[in-house]
Amino acid sequence: MYRAAAPATLRIVPLDDLTAIYHRASGITHLVASPVPELLAALSEPLTLVRLAKRLGEEFYLSDGEALAARLDELVASGLAEQL
Amino acid sequence: MSDEPSEIPQGATRRRALMLGAVGASAIVSIRPALAQVSASISTCEIQVPDRARAGKYIAADGTPVPAGTKGAFAPASRPFTGQEVKQALAGGNLPGIEYERSQAYTKYIRRLQSGTSGFTCFASLQMPRG
Repeated sequence: MYRAAAPATLRIVPLDDLTAIYHRASGITHLVASPVPELLAALSEPLTLVRLAKRLGEEFYLSDGEALAARLDELVASGLAEQL
Repeated sequence: MSDEPSEIPQGATRRRALMLGAVGASAIVSIRPALAQVSASISTCEIQVPDRARAGKYIAADGTPVPAGTKGAFAPASRPFTGQEVKQALAGGNLPGIEYERSQAYTKYIRRLQSGTSGFTCFASLQMPRG
């Protein structure tokens, strides 16, 4: 199960094609590209990898399902999401 | 009789493509000036011992999570520690309201936190150079 950091700990500012995310808990600013904002929005509730893919599939065409796991790993490593 | 449509007819949907990128690529760049003041984030971030993924586990004297009830290990902390409390403990102090041996075990657990573990980002921010 994966879940995004609590919304109160994130300050999210869209910057054209990029998004700046200041993580108050760590004091670290992350400059992210799509699909990171979309993943964070979907992970406002805890989801498994499979359910996340299904949820995203309702709204988007997913280009590559395999890469989704890689993006999730990256999110977790950054601290913007946690693996429960 | 027809197969699944390989192309979506125009106007049939408003879904847009979500490009997930290559497996080895990166979608996140993390920035933190060495001179940034970290006092605010240290006072607001928290570390649970153990983290939620290992809730209920005891902490052995060497800091490893072990099954609940393991002899010689310590029960989970009753509340999360703040970054400030952990910072003082890492500098050789005691975690507040906790006896020495238990504080040592908890501190060792926190030092072993890995990237991706709940609490790691808070711990990492304590390790960053101060301006």
